[in-house]
Order: sequence, then C-alpha cells, then structure tokens
Amino acid sequence: MISSNAQTSIEGILLKAARSRLPQQPDDACEIVPLAHAYDSARPEANVIILTISSILFRLLLVFHFDDDASTREYFSKKTGDVPLQDMLLEICNLCCGAVNQDLLPYFQDLGMSTPYVLSARCLPYLEGLKPDYLSSYAITINGSVKLAATVCVCAHAPIDFVADMTAVEETSGELELF
Amino acid sequence: MIEQYLLAALAGVVATAILALLLHKLHGARTLARLQSEMNDRIKTLMETNAQQSGLIDQGEQKIQQLESSIAQLDDDLARQLKIAGEDRAALAAAVEDKENLLDQARRIAGEASRLKSLAATFERWHEQMISLMTQNQDMHAKNHELSSIVKHVVIVSLNASIEAARAGNAGRGFAVVAGEVRALAARSEELSRSYRDSLHRNDLTTTATFQDIQAGGKMITASLGSVEVLADQFQVRLH
Amino acid sequence: MSKILVVDDSSTVRDEVAGFLRKNGLDVETAVDGKDGLLKMKSSPGIKLVVSDVNMPNMDGLTMAEKIRGELVNTTVNIIMLTTESSPAMKERGKAAGVKGWIVKPFKGDAVLEAFRKLAS
Repeated sequence: MISSNAQTSIEGILLKAARSRLPQQPDDACEIVPLAHAYDSARPEANVIILTISSILFRLLLVFHFDDDASTREYFSKKTGDVPLQDMLLEICNLCCGAVNQDLLPYFQDLGMSTPYVLSARCLPYLEGLKPDYLSSYAITINGSVKLAATVCVCAHAPIDFVADMTAVEETSGELELF
Repeated sequence: MIEQYLLAALAGVVATAILALLLHKLHGARTLARLQSEMNDRIKTLMETNAQQSGLIDQGEQKIQQLESSIAQLDDDLARQLKIAGEDRAALAAAVEDKENLLDQARRIAGEASRLKSLAATFERWHEQMISLMTQNQDMHAKNHELSSIVKHVVIVSLNASIEAARAGNAGRGFAVVAGEVRALAARSEELSRSYRDSLHRNDLTTTATFQDIQAGGKMITASLGSVEVLADQFQVRLH
Repeated sequence: MSKILVVDDSSTVRDEVAGFLRKNGLDVETAVDGKDGLLKMKSSPGIKLVVSDVNMPNMDGLTMAEKIRGELVNTTVNIIMLTTESSPAMKERGKAAGVKGWIVKPFKGDAVLEAFRKLAS
C-alpha cells in the first residue's frame, strides 16, 4: 500500500529531520545507519519517546530511543538551568517530528501532530501488532559517542505514492513572520 | 419747290419711318428672338430644374419608404428589446434572490465551521482521559512488579524449605513435597507475571498509539475547519 | 510589572526562551498551557507581548489567543506563536484569531530579539 517511492521519500524526510534537529550544534557529526530491528534486547530497561503524525490517508509513528548513560546526559543537558534531561529529550523529539511534519505538508495537505509520550522500550516489539505498511529503524551516532536510534512506523488507510523533493531549500525556521 | 421739299421730306420721313419700322421690327424680331431664345433657355432650365426636382422628389419618396420600413424594423426591435429587458429584470430579480440565499448559506457554513471548531475541546477531554488511562497502566505495572518480586521471594522461601526438609531427613519428606509444589506454583506465577507484563507493554503501545492518533487527527480536523471558516468568511464578504 | 508572557508546556522551551529574554534585560513571566496563560493574562495587566506554543494540553495556543481577544476583550496585547506547526491553514487560523506573528521552532533568539523588544514596548 505504500509505494517504494513513498518509502524512500519518508526515509529521506526522516533522516533530513534527524540530521537537522538532533545534533545540538550545527557542526556536530551525525552518522545514520539502518537497523534490522527496532527493539534492541540489549537495552530492555531503556525508555523511548513516541509521537504520531496523522493524516486522512495514514498515521505515522516516530519512536526515538535514547540511552540513559553519561555521554547522552552530558551531550543533551544544557549547562544553564536545571531542566530535567527527559524534558529536554521530549522537546528535541518534538522538534524533529515537527520537521518531518513540515516536510510532509506539501504532499499531504492536512496533517496533525501529537504531543510526545514516554514508553518503555519493551513496547517496541508490539509495533508490528499495529500492522504497519512500512517499518524501518536507524542507529544514529552523534560525535562518535552519543548513541541513539529512531524508528518510523507507517500505517496506511489508502494507497500512498509520492516523491519528496529532497533538494528543497533549508527551512526558514526561527524567523519571525509578521502578519 | 416747297411741294418737292415737302414730298422729299415726306418721302424721307416715310422712308425713315419705314426704315425705323423695319429696324424696329428687325430689332423687335431680334429682341423677340432673343427673348424667345432666352425664354426657351429659361424653359429648358426650368424643365431641367423640374426634372431634377422630380428626381429629387422620387429620391425623397424612396427615402421616405426606406425610412418607413426602418421605422417598422425599429418598432420590431424595440418590441423585442422591451421583451428581453422584461426577461432580464426577472432574471436579475431571481439572481438577487439567489445571492441572498447564497449569503445565507455562507453565513450558515461559517457558523457551522465555527461551532465545529469547538470540537477541539472534545479532543482535549480525550487527552485528559488518556493521561488517566496511562496512569492506571503505570499502576498496573507497579502492582505486577510487586507481585513478581513477591513470587521471586516465594521461590527463595520454597528453596529454603526444601533445604530444611532435606536436613530433617525422613520426617521432612512430606514437607519436601509441599515445598516442591510451592516452588512449581511460584514458577507458574512468575511465568504468568512475565506474560502479564508483556501484555501491559502491548497495551501501553496500543493505547498510546490510538490516543496520539486521536490527538493528531483532532488537530488535523481543527486545522481543516479553520480553513473552511476562513473561506466561508471570505465568500460572505465577496457576496456583500 | 512583567512585559512578556511565555506560554509552553515544555519546561525546556520556557527555560530557553524566558532565560534568553531575561538575559537581555526583559521582564518575563511564564505559563504552562493555554488555561494557565489566560490566568496570567488576567492577573498581570502589564503584559504587552505573549509568545506561545500551539500544541499544549488543557487549552491550545490558538484557542488561548481567541479567548484573549474575545473573553478578555484585550485587542492591544501582541501575540506571537512559537511552534513546530507551519501549515498555511494553521497560520490562517492564527491570523483570524488576532495573532500578530509566527515563528517556526527551533527558537533563534538573536534573530528575533529586536522585534520582541519593539513588540513589548
């Protein structure tokens, strides 16, 4: 139900969003490698952050896995303020999902995005229970030491086919548009 | 002599008179001729003029006939135009009424869109209930975890009981059997608890995915309704 | 008396935006969702600029903006949305609700500081 063009496009959009929103400094290295399985049984106690983008034609779930280790904490904690790490991670995943949302907008007019939610990593094997038409996972490494993973899971209600224009110009985020 | 003079003079006079008469007649004839010729000319001119005038009169009459037929045509046209104008007036009246109806409908569409936007409040309500459901799930996780640790503890207790039974030798044989059964029950409970934990995780995912779909879907609908409302408002302004 | 109200359900964002504005000498108050934002608007009449997220529980940012203009009968305070949403439909709804400007996250303080100063004066 999801054409291979659409799958490639969704993957492209996700990787672009991950590269632009996950690294905290613009010059940080960000390596992305496909993963065979979403669930990493070596890290069963980890938590994941899940968001949903809904359209009339499909629903798309984005799941982000973060290690609760020193390098992750150090990389993502802001030096100033005592914001809990989980809040920071929730906002970062929100921004990343927002970027995916923006890049999908030209092809699917009405899109809605949920707020993020934290679940146990043990929930991941049950993604298959949603009967997805497209399920793909990626291992992301920032600056060689911060290890994350992202999974995209799309359930289509109707055939989906589109080709994303990956040559699109960098977004004008952060600028004030006055009405 | 005087008689001769008188005769000569008379002859002269008569001659002069005859000459004068002849001249006069000649002159008169010439004049007459001239007059006649002039008169002929005049008659000719008059006749030409008359002919021209007749021609003009003919043309005039023709023109009059043309004008009369034009007038008849114009009368027809006017009648037709009046009929069309009458139809146009009726059509305009109908269009104005249609516009009033459209305006009314546009107002109603805008009103409906505005009312449906309050659906957003419904989605907020579901969001609160989702949080409550997920909290209950957390509670079930906690209880299951506690059960699991109790079961683990029972396993340890039953192992200790088996050891004590073995130490008691024959007297402890009955106790050893009971300890064995307790351990078997504990193992089954542990298995059940693990299976229950897995069910809870599957439940968590399905619940979260469903409610996020509702939350996101609600925003999608609210956004679409927003566009509809804006369009309906613009439409109303245009009709006014 | 506070001049700017920052509304977002994420403490990260509240910290980042309010912190940046305070560092640049501006008076800032915060709220955690639309309902809280309305309460703060009622209790602090000196607020000249509201910077708000759209997607929040309990009351989203656009509904809050509509209520500020409607129930609170406040047509003078400037409202800017700071959100991941960028769809034209959303922006239209914002415009209709009396929102003055739109910023797509992430927040880049330097790019908007001057504009915020002007809108809050």
